[in-house]
Amino acid sequence: MWLPVAIFLAVCIAIILVRLFLGPTPPDRLVGLDTLNTLVIVSMVILGASFNEVIYIDVAIVYALLSFVTTLFIAKYIEKGGF
Amino acid sequence: MIEPGVLHIIVPILIVACALLVAILKDLIVAVISLAAMSLLLALEFYLLQAPDVAIAEAGVGAAISAAIYILAIRATKRR
Repeated sequence: MWLPVAIFLAVCIAIILVRLFLGPTPPDRLVGLDTLNTLVIVSMVILGASFNEVIYIDVAIVYALLSFVTTLFIAKYIEKGGF
Repeated sequence: MIEPGVLHIIVPILIVACALLVAILKDLIVAVISLAAMSLLLALEFYLLQAPDVAIAEAGVGAAISAAIYILAIRATKRR
């Protein structure tokens, strides 16, 4: 039951990676990375629901807490100029 | 319980594509963004292999520490 959802999320991740490859400027790729973060967190929750394990949801929570740090650092670097 | 056989084909292909992009690209900041994407997908692959503790370690190191240190190193150098 959960497998079509997970495969659809993997296809969405592939589409976002195409934007990550082709993005003309670094902010485009940064927004693509942030969308990729969200898609990976959603697929972790979906897979945790399908595996019937509670500990798997904790991985998604830890990832959601930590994944904004990279985006914040790169955004601060782009804000400082140099492009 | 699902059989994630198809995902074991899709996700490693995406990991290899991100790693090739890190090697090919000339712009350093774009290479760091692609490295963060590769780390993210690697954590998803550990998760698919049912090793959630390794996935938590990979999330902590790859998402928070590694890219931040790379950005600090790039900031200390000159861009051309």
